Amino acid sequence: MTVLGKRGRSGSQAPQRVRSRTNEPRRRGRSARRSRWIPYLFLALPVAYLAVFQIVPLLQELRLSFTRTSLLNPGNNTWVGLDNFLAIVADPEFIRTLTTTLIYVVVCVVGAIGIGMGTALLLNADFRGRGVARALVTVPWAAPGVAVALIATWMTNAQYGIINRALEAVGLGVPNGQILASSTFALPAVLITTVWQLFPFPTIVLLAALQSVPKESTEAAMIDGAGRWWTFRAATWPVIKPTVALLAVLMAIWSIRRFELIWLMTKGGPLGSTRTIVIDLYSRAFESNDLGMAAAIGMVGVVISLLLVTGSLLLNRRAEKEDTL
Amino acid sequence: MRATTAGTAARIVALLTVLGIAVFPLYWIFVSALTRPNKLFSDSLQVLPDLSQLGSFGTALASGEVSRWLLNSFLISVGTMGLSIVLAVPLAYALSRFSFRGKVLVGLVLLLTQMLPEALLVVPLFATFHDLSLLNSRFGLILADSAFVMPICALILKGAMDAIPMEIEEAARVDGCRPLTILTRINLPLIVPSLSAAAVIAFFHAWNEYVFAVTFVFDVDKRPASVGLAGYIGELGTPMSTVMAVAFMFTLPAVVFYLFAQKYVVSGMTAGAVKG
Repeated sequence: MTVLGKRGRSGSQAPQRVRSRTNEPRRRGRSARRSRWIPYLFLALPVAYLAVFQIVPLLQELRLSFTRTSLLNPGNNTWVGLDNFLAIVADPEFIRTLTTTLIYVVVCVVGAIGIGMGTALLLNADFRGRGVARALVTVPWAAPGVAVALIATWMTNAQYGIINRALEAVGLGVPNGQILASSTFALPAVLITTVWQLFPFPTIVLLAALQSVPKESTEAAMIDGAGRWWTFRAATWPVIKPTVALLAVLMAIWSIRRFELIWLMTKGGPLGSTRTIVIDLYSRAFESNDLGMAAAIGMVGVVISLLLVTGSLLLNRRAEKEDTL
Repeated sequence: MRATTAGTAARIVALLTVLGIAVFPLYWIFVSALTRPNKLFSDSLQVLPDLSQLGSFGTALASGEVSRWLLNSFLISVGTMGLSIVLAVPLAYALSRFSFRGKVLVGLVLLLTQMLPEALLVVPLFATFHDLSLLNSRFGLILADSAFVMPICALILKGAMDAIPMEIEEAARVDGCRPLTILTRINLPLIVPSLSAAAVIAFFHAWNEYVFAVTFVFDVDKRPASVGLAGYIGELGTPMSTVMAVAFMFTLPAVVFYLFAQKYVVSGMTAGAVKG
């Protein structure tokens, strides 16, 4: 297809050039007609690829969510309409999954942005070694999820993990050193690990945003006798607010999708205490072999993400309108 | 004056604490790799690496299995990087420089792909890959991984191309350059930093990827390191120092590359997100 297109173009190349010198309006008309199909030439392959490996599978999954299908015999599926969704809504376990997901997402967003903001403010000053400090902060974000899950598991090892040793040393030891195996401490441990891995991203992004805060306005606020907090509120916050909003949406979407860190640390357990939507969907598909239910749960997750993004886009548009008024 | 000094001291302490927490787990992987196995599981705690144990890296690699995993990860990552960039460049160019029917739809699809969990598409993709005989193949993994990271690369590159003044391109067009030439000769050289950022992101997306790798590849010798390493979690047969040595070798390239490229990576990602 591309080859044909190319040949067609190079064939028309020479006469076009001649014309362009003699007949200006005609050339313009021609290039307008050409530019109508040129973008599709660039688009064809990437869009086809996304269709095959993202959109079609998504639609298949959507169809699957209205069927009863077993992993062991996927060819044999029966249409059950909304049954899967009705079963989900009626299942108190799923309500718990939703609550856990909500806690997970909120803590990740607030924790990562909060710590990221604090770190960015610390880094937003002139000092020696700032470049090094900035680079070191990004280490958690660069670390692969599998390696993070592995080291977190080792550090929380009941007997020899350094975290247990440290907690015991300060008299805060958990019963039998069980952290990831305890339905009380597993979720906090997973949350801390996730926030640890996530916070460098808002740090670096906010640091960039802080640099666009005009120095004069913070100085003016300081001279006016405003304290650190009021300077931040009056001079800094208005500038970085859109960035924070964007970060919040990004991190929420990422946290809803996050799988391997939670799966490898706890598999959603113990007793479902760390089971988020994605963990639920995976274990229903590959442990209970229930592809239909898994798909339905996945769709709920996608819809939540979609609502989040749409909502934030609408809010953003309204804020922009208010700004221009 | 004194208050300022105290404030500065507090800032330094706070910053050092954050940096310590950020780096410590990686350091702890390193220390654990360089601790005598009998000391790892004892009441005494060793907090400094024992350099006489550097052999544990060699031991890990000598098993053949581990070097095989790392090589597989490398091949899959290079493939993903290549495929993602090759597809993202024309997509970004079309979005940045042309107006066409369906542009909004393409933009929405790119946004949508950011919300799809890999774990959700594992099942339908498994069926597709089965039909196309792409299961149990590293090439299949490249195709699956690229589908998830290519949209991010495209958004980054679109952001970068949007920043190139249209006049440069128009001048080239007047001189008779064709669109493909304009793209390769004029636009791409101007966005090399964003291109390398997109390449790094694509490479390490595949390097870190776990769900597809664990589901689509069955042969032990085709496994990437992420799956091999995950297999150690909860398994007791392999010495912990070897496990940690593998974890360190798997993590270090990602960390070093991001340190090197983080400025472009982050600005690229936010630019893509803001404008996409």
